[in-house]
Amino acid sequence: MHHDNGIWVGSEDLMRDEAFAKSSQSEFSVENIDQTDGKWQASRRDFLKLMGFGLGAATIAASCEIPVKKAIPYVTKPDEIVPGVANYFASTFVNGSDYCPILVKTREGRPIKIEGNTLSTVTNGGTSARAQASVLSLYDTRRIQNAGTVKEGSVTKMDWAGLDREVKAKLATGGNIRIVTNSIFSPSGESAMREFVAQYPTASIISYDAVSSAALLEANEKCFGFNLFPKYKFDEAAVICSFGADFLGTWGNPVQQARDYTKGRKVAGAKTPKMSRHYQVEGYMSLTGSNADSRIQIRPSEMGAAISALYAELSGNGGGPKLNDKAASAIKKVAKDLQSARGKSIVVSGSNNVAEQIIVNKINDLLGNINSTIDFNGASFTHSGDERQVAKLIDEMNGGQVATILVWGANPAWELPNAEAFKAAFAKVGTRISLNTNLDETTLLCTHAAPTNHFLESWGDALPVAGKFSIIQPTIAPLFATRQAEHSLLVWCDSPNLNSSSEQPYYEYVKANWQKDYFPNQTKYLTPDAFWEMSLHDGVHEVPPHDITVSFDQAVSVDLNGVSQPSTSELEISFFETVNIGGGQYAHNPWLQEMPDPVTRTVWGNYLSIPVEWDGVNNIDGWMGLNDGDEVDVEVNGQKFKCSVVKNFGQTVGTVAIALGGGRQAGGCGVSHGVNVNAAMKQENGLTQYYGVDVKVTPTGTKDKHFACVQHHNSMGVTAMGKEEGKVINADEKSLGWKGFQGSLTDRSIIFQTNIKDLQKLEHKLEEFHEESTHLNSQTLYPDNIEYFGTGMKWGMYIDLNSCIGCGACQVACVSENNVPVVGKKEVARHHEMTWLRIDRYFYGDLENPKVVYQPMMCQHCDNAPCENVCPVNATNHSMEGLNQMAYNRCIGTRYCANNCPYKVRRFNWLDYTTADVWPSNEERVFHVEGENLPFYADNLVRMVLNPDVTVRTRGVIEKCSFCVQRIQEGKLTAKKESRAIQDNDVRTACQTACPTGAIVFGNTNNPESEVSKASKNAGALAYKVLEEINVRPGVNYSAKIHNANEELFS
Amino acid sequence: MSQPVAAVRHILIEGNKSYHNITEDLCSPTEKAPTREWIIAFSLASAFLALYLFAVCWTVWKGIGEWGANRSINWAWDITNFVWWIGIGHAGTLISAILLLFRQRWRTGVNRAAEAMTIFAVICAGQFPIIHMGRVWLAFFIMPFPNTRGPIWTNFNSPLLWDVFAISTYFSVSLLFWYTGLVPDLATVRDRAKGFRRKIYETFSFGWTGSAKHWQRWEALSLVLAGISTPLVLSVHTIVSFDFATSVIPGWHTTIFPPYFVAGAVFSGFAMVQTLMVITRKVLKLEQYITINHIESMNKVIVLTGTIVGVAYLTELFISWYSGYIYEQFAFYNRVFGIYWWSYFGMMFCNVVSPQVFWSRKIRRSIWWTFFLSILINVGMWFERFVIIATTLARDFLPSSWSYYRPTWVEISLFTGTIGLFFFCYLIFCRVAPVVAIAEVKAILKVAGDQYIGPDAKNGQNEQVKHAH
Repeated sequence: MHHDNGIWVGSEDLMRDEAFAKSSQSEFSVENIDQTDGKWQASRRDFLKLMGFGLGAATIAASCEIPVKKAIPYVTKPDEIVPGVANYFASTFVNGSDYCPILVKTREGRPIKIEGNTLSTVTNGGTSARAQASVLSLYDTRRIQNAGTVKEGSVTKMDWAGLDREVKAKLATGGNIRIVTNSIFSPSGESAMREFVAQYPTASIISYDAVSSAALLEANEKCFGFNLFPKYKFDEAAVICSFGADFLGTWGNPVQQARDYTKGRKVAGAKTPKMSRHYQVEGYMSLTGSNADSRIQIRPSEMGAAISALYAELSGNGGGPKLNDKAASAIKKVAKDLQSARGKSIVVSGSNNVAEQIIVNKINDLLGNINSTIDFNGASFTHSGDERQVAKLIDEMNGGQVATILVWGANPAWELPNAEAFKAAFAKVGTRISLNTNLDETTLLCTHAAPTNHFLESWGDALPVAGKFSIIQPTIAPLFATRQAEHSLLVWCDSPNLNSSSEQPYYEYVKANWQKDYFPNQTKYLTPDAFWEMSLHDGVHEVPPHDITVSFDQAVSVDLNGVSQPSTSELEISFFETVNIGGGQYAHNPWLQEMPDPVTRTVWGNYLSIPVEWDGVNNIDGWMGLNDGDEVDVEVNGQKFKCSVVKNFGQTVGTVAIALGGGRQAGGCGVSHGVNVNAAMKQENGLTQYYGVDVKVTPTGTKDKHFACVQHHNSMGVTAMGKEEGKVINADEKSLGWKGFQGSLTDRSIIFQTNIKDLQKLEHKLEEFHEESTHLNSQTLYPDNIEYFGTGMKWGMYIDLNSCIGCGACQVACVSENNVPVVGKKEVARHHEMTWLRIDRYFYGDLENPKVVYQPMMCQHCDNAPCENVCPVNATNHSMEGLNQMAYNRCIGTRYCANNCPYKVRRFNWLDYTTADVWPSNEERVFHVEGENLPFYADNLVRMVLNPDVTVRTRGVIEKCSFCVQRIQEGKLTAKKESRAIQDNDVRTACQTACPTGAIVFGNTNNPESEVSKASKNAGALAYKVLEEINVRPGVNYSAKIHNANEELFS
Repeated sequence: MSQPVAAVRHILIEGNKSYHNITEDLCSPTEKAPTREWIIAFSLASAFLALYLFAVCWTVWKGIGEWGANRSINWAWDITNFVWWIGIGHAGTLISAILLLFRQRWRTGVNRAAEAMTIFAVICAGQFPIIHMGRVWLAFFIMPFPNTRGPIWTNFNSPLLWDVFAISTYFSVSLLFWYTGLVPDLATVRDRAKGFRRKIYETFSFGWTGSAKHWQRWEALSLVLAGISTPLVLSVHTIVSFDFATSVIPGWHTTIFPPYFVAGAVFSGFAMVQTLMVITRKVLKLEQYITINHIESMNKVIVLTGTIVGVAYLTELFISWYSGYIYEQFAFYNRVFGIYWWSYFGMMFCNVVSPQVFWSRKIRRSIWWTFFLSILINVGMWFERFVIIATTLARDFLPSSWSYYRPTWVEISLFTGTIGLFFFCYLIFCRVAPVVAIAEVKAILKVAGDQYIGPDAKNGQNEQVKHAH
């Protein structure tokens, strides 16, 4: 191109630059396509190829169906919700007589975790397994989701207005109205009932409890004039004698009692080691009995004789029924001990016999314990039920005198010995209204269902102890079209105090009550609104109680003939309540079902506990040669049931025992697990007796294929008389070999225990052990990592085995906090349980009457972790803060780490437990609630309970305790935001906060001022690490188990 | 003569074979139509292979929970099978490499089949470390390669990673060695074949012409590979034993494991060679190539290694007692008298007691005894690995976690399935390649020369040689 026409483009054109001339010849210039280096070589064909491939690949990739998960932002963000930040609301867990002030952790509006409320002086922040698990029952898929009429096993939906009209019409027709409930100690709830009764004068309230304390209440009424449960000051007692009262597990107010009890038993770290002495007189090994210093074994029918014997010894008035010689002589020594601790002792009884409870009161009176260790100032209102009222009700119903019955919270068609009679009579009542949450055995028999809210959706209050009020506040709007029972009652009685047009009528009702009744009795807050707001914030409101001094009414006579009479039958049975399932009211909670029973370590059902027998030579066998999981037919009180057995050390010879609460027939996941034994219990004078005589047990010769027990080996050095040796020998070591799970060498550095009087000996032994271990551990080629771990932060734990009572609250808390899956009975039977934290239970001491040590066992976060160096892909590694970490995404599941863990705390996701796989065919074997097609974890409702801070693990990866790393992270961020060093309070693990006794301490062990450092240091030689000598350098310190047994008791 | 004269060795190939006879005998199985026995055996092997594939799919699809392993016994049949198969492979390597270096020329009769066995056994063994993973689809994580995930590297401290290197090295070297040996023989088959079959063999014989240069390179390569393989005989099972020895678990954490595992591996490998040879020589009519002398030599190795293994077992017991450490003592007490006592006694009987019959020359040279004992030893060596793995894990430090293991149908299928896989490969091998190394056998055949003692030998020389004997 020439600029003949005088037009040129740029200087190159003007100068006739050759390159320019050449380039201007071609139509498309390629030089400048790539601005970066000018080396673009792609042709149009390349472009088309790439685009074709890209489109094809994208099409193929896009056609794979990937589930759409929507994260929808708030259109208008509520002020109080910051996504990713948890809110805590103070509330109160109340179910029957169970009470626990709590903080509810909510994330994005969902309650996901229960914590103890430390402001309460009743529980001081302690919780129970039941309270911890209660959040899961909020998301129970079997809850009744709307009001309606009950027909043929289901609820036909009605709107609430329609139901209200129908109910009111029925109520208005007159006739007697009965409300059946468990113990109620809600001031506002009671006020609502009062209004109801005022409106319908023919109404009355029948209150009973699944496991009764009626005799105790009646005895207290008679002796002291108070129909109440007194406060037992276990912390101040030097000698405690319990006649079958499981006060650490189920009897009274266990969370409070456990805390007090362990206060008197902390030896490690104490300047002057001192502890209470605890005798337990019982037939089966209860949780409390397993913690006792000395157990006196009796048959359950001898309870009256045992109590009488103690009374005889203390008062000099004999004449009760005869007790077996061994126990009788032991009781004499107990009496001596008690007398030496006058005013500083406690005698309690779990018996449901009024005469026995009166004698116990008399004994306490004789010992000067009344108003001292047994205090009515702090008496609790949590127990008020009386099953005799139900018997009366049955008569009334049979007589056609009841027109309408309301059932609220109770389940009388199942949980009573006379449930069958109740059912028959119940059918004769015209209108039967259930206010229960689930379609349980009683609700199925009702005509109407008016389902109440879960407590986490409800307003309310509680007065468990005089002067200690607490508030129940909802943490989520009702998930279903339910309405809380109190509200329903107020609607049905047209209460003038209920503002039905309000958005939350019962809230206003409770608030008005509080402002009216409690505001004037306090001086802290000046306005009613401030009072209410602050009480709601704190969850509790406490005022000093009135000073009550009681005295034993001397007019009450001791009736030695009224006590239970020892039976001569060959075999007796005890029925007991477990810490997890209770009397069956918690059977529908999978977390509790899969929490092992502390003593037998069985899950998902109830098993007949049988004694073990020692043949004197080398065999520890089950009674009648039965083994764990063998099935038997049991006949008692004319009732027959079939169950499987579990060998249980400490079960009195000639007795067996079985837990209540198995074999639920309707309402949730407890159905078909275990066996219903309620009908096998007898009532005497209308009071349920938790034992039976004339028991026949016949082995069927079959085995329970899915016998689910998490610990098959039981003992750590039980002793027994050796026939060959002629002296007491270590039966465990003698029974080595060919014996299945029993028999082992027991000098293992896992458990250390001693009597308090030999404390120094143990200290010396442990000092030697520490020295030996240090020596062994220094024999290594590898450099010490002390420099690496000695600076900055290092997380560690201290567990006081003397404070651990084995209640299992920590275990459920861990499950809840860390999204640990429930695997179901069949998988547990295959040893596939997933629990990160377990409580190992070892029997030691006398084989027939052993002691127990509980050992919470979780990842020990070893500094020289054997799991870490064997992982081929670095999926588990050590943080600079001493945490043994799991990178789930990296894990390929070789399971070498789990094999190489000396503590066996690593858990593998054997199957698709969390339903993370996309194919439903993999869900057959994972846990399903009976009758549901959808696996438990696949239900979106259940998944609401998941903690969003913790990854839900998929099939094929290993998981284990992380020391609640998400809490550590949160604590670190809190400290960082406040520009300060991290403190103990910033990080508390889930197990630590759940523990009612403060057995678990967690913190930075590099900080000498942290609680954990101090606790370990104070424990001195008593602090040890499990398997200290194998140089894995665990991060958890345990302190030795010390007991205070009376060694002369049986000599 | 003033020069020293070596004694004349025994005849290694019987039946006065000529070079042509050898070619005919060894090539013909690949050329004839399959026999009925072969078809039956192959169908059976295929059926088990199918079962194996089904069980693998089942495991991968459903999860390891379909196995009987549990929270305490995380490895059971899977790793037992792995170690068992790996051990079996060792005889092939020993025969091909160490015996080559030691100039044990009798090995030529059995080395080809033994090497094939090694390769197939390693293939079977290699299945288990992969399928035992919880997330097998991420198995590539164990390969150290630059990646976009950090990059995250593998953990070079982990014995499992050493396994990856040990086994992949072992497999590649064994395969090379075996295939190198095969090349001249495949060329022989090629030369006899026609049509499409010829084309195939042409490809696989890499254009072998048999020139002197080819032979020289072939000899050199064989020797180099033998040199590389020799340490592998010791290292592979040593590293496999590290899977256990470097752990902290009482019963695993023992320094005796490497030599004990190697001896056990050679022991079980020879037993498997015997099992295969006894059948193969009969079915393919190779009695004159794989002679009773071969069988006797291998039985001698078996009695030696079996006794070494026995000494190791007793040493373990002694050391556990002598350690004075109760976890150690209990672990071994439990092995002998615990819940799995039957597996320990099975192991002791099969591995230590039963091979002692080979002290008798008569039994050593008996086909039936050899076959029977080879099976017993294979069973015993499987028990040994089961004892080490499952029994140990069932009772470790904390009694609270003790457990019991029993296999499910899936694990049984996987094990029997790999036996199917093994025979599937072996049977195909018998049909496509000479099971005895033609070229090498020809190298030890004497048809002429000063020391030739065959029938066509010159009388004088023959007499002279006889006299020298």
